[in-house]
Amino acid sequence: MSNEIRIESGVNGFAENKDQAKQLRLSQILPAVSEGDQIVLDFYAVKYATQSFVHALIGEALQTYGERALDLMEFRHCSDAVRSVIELVVDYSLGGFAEKASA
Amino acid sequence: MPSFIVPTNANLHAARSFIAGNNFFDERGDAVLRFHPKWAHVEPLALTMVAAWGAWCKRGGYSLRVENLGKHAAYAARMKLFQQLGVEFEPVKEHEESGRFLPVTQVRTQEDATAAIANISAMLHLQDDPDSLAAVQFCISELLRNVLEHANSPDGAFVAAHRFAEKGTHRVTIAVADCGQGIPSHLARAHPDAAGDDSIAIGLAMQPGVTGAQPTNYGTPDNAGAGLYITRSIAKGTGGYFPLYSGRAAYRLRRALSEDAMVQLFPDPYDDPRGDRWSFPSPWLGTVVSVEIRTETIAHYENFFQWIFEQMPNRKSAAGKIKFT
Repeated sequence: MSNEIRIESGVNGFAENKDQAKQLRLSQILPAVSEGDQIVLDFYAVKYATQSFVHALIGEALQTYGERALDLMEFRHCSDAVRSVIELVVDYSLGGFAEKASA
Repeated sequence: MPSFIVPTNANLHAARSFIAGNNFFDERGDAVLRFHPKWAHVEPLALTMVAAWGAWCKRGGYSLRVENLGKHAAYAARMKLFQQLGVEFEPVKEHEESGRFLPVTQVRTQEDATAAIANISAMLHLQDDPDSLAAVQFCISELLRNVLEHANSPDGAFVAAHRFAEKGTHRVTIAVADCGQGIPSHLARAHPDAAGDDSIAIGLAMQPGVTGAQPTNYGTPDNAGAGLYITRSIAKGTGGYFPLYSGRAAYRLRRALSEDAMVQLFPDPYDDPRGDRWSFPSPWLGTVVSVEIRTETIAHYENFFQWIFEQMPNRKSAAGKIKFT
């Protein structure tokens, strides 16, 4: 089964409303991942997104289910800016941030 | 008495002396806002601080007296500071009202924040510079969400921004101030090592992965603990200032001296040789952050995130497995 989720554009194509991201996470993303269902996250309407928005959207699924969650996710119609934020969030969600000693 | 003295230079460059010359929250007597009698160069940093402090005074039942109002306070009036304070002051108009600024705006809810972000494009005249606009929107969004989610501020946040594009360095200066619980109080539960040392607390808050909820470096489902880190990185990457003041401690990243210095990112802000670390006898009961974005140095907004991504520890990243279609 595949779930397609269209991400709202926000202000001028700038997605920053974490409350909306959290609502999508709790109502659609986490239930789908927990069932092993595929998810398509469609960023067609979004030009830019904050890291906090993307974190609120997918961070918990990645931290809870690890790379299995990533295997279930497809990111569609991402601009270069959105893509770079997703890469950052995926990386630290699965690996953590640098500790001072290793920085 | 609670007093806010606005000296001749209340800007990012002179932040230390401006803050040190104040005792903002002395609880005895009436509140006084005093402008320098002849000249006042204020930027969003000072304007938002005055607005947040004024709301604190009002909440505490203090009577506010404003001294030395004159034509040198015209900029503060254009930025709608006195409107926020409930003080009647109409300076003589000496020049055109149009400008490139977001006036001092109170933000209490996500809807307020969204409206402020929506207004930024037109108010700063950044329609033709989408990469700079995105950087500005990002910083404002992250700083406002920090207040709404963590500050426990009864008055919310006060935000202002100004685009300086006529002469000298082309830049946008943003500031967000609140009189909430402050960073040291917010972090104390999860980071007992920061309790009693405001400098340690604000240093932690600027590192990636630090939240007030738990002592890990992964964040929580709702917060990565990276907003201040990335905001500081955007200032750093454009060569701009980044000051943060909470409790008795303040930090200021100075402008970069060279392009090479701009690309040296330090997860711990105190490792940065361009960082100033200050302690003040008089605390700020809340948090103040300002970001200076030098727009002329921005080529592509997404480069900031690739650059930050490259600072992550060496490991086999899962980012390569992301399915982009």
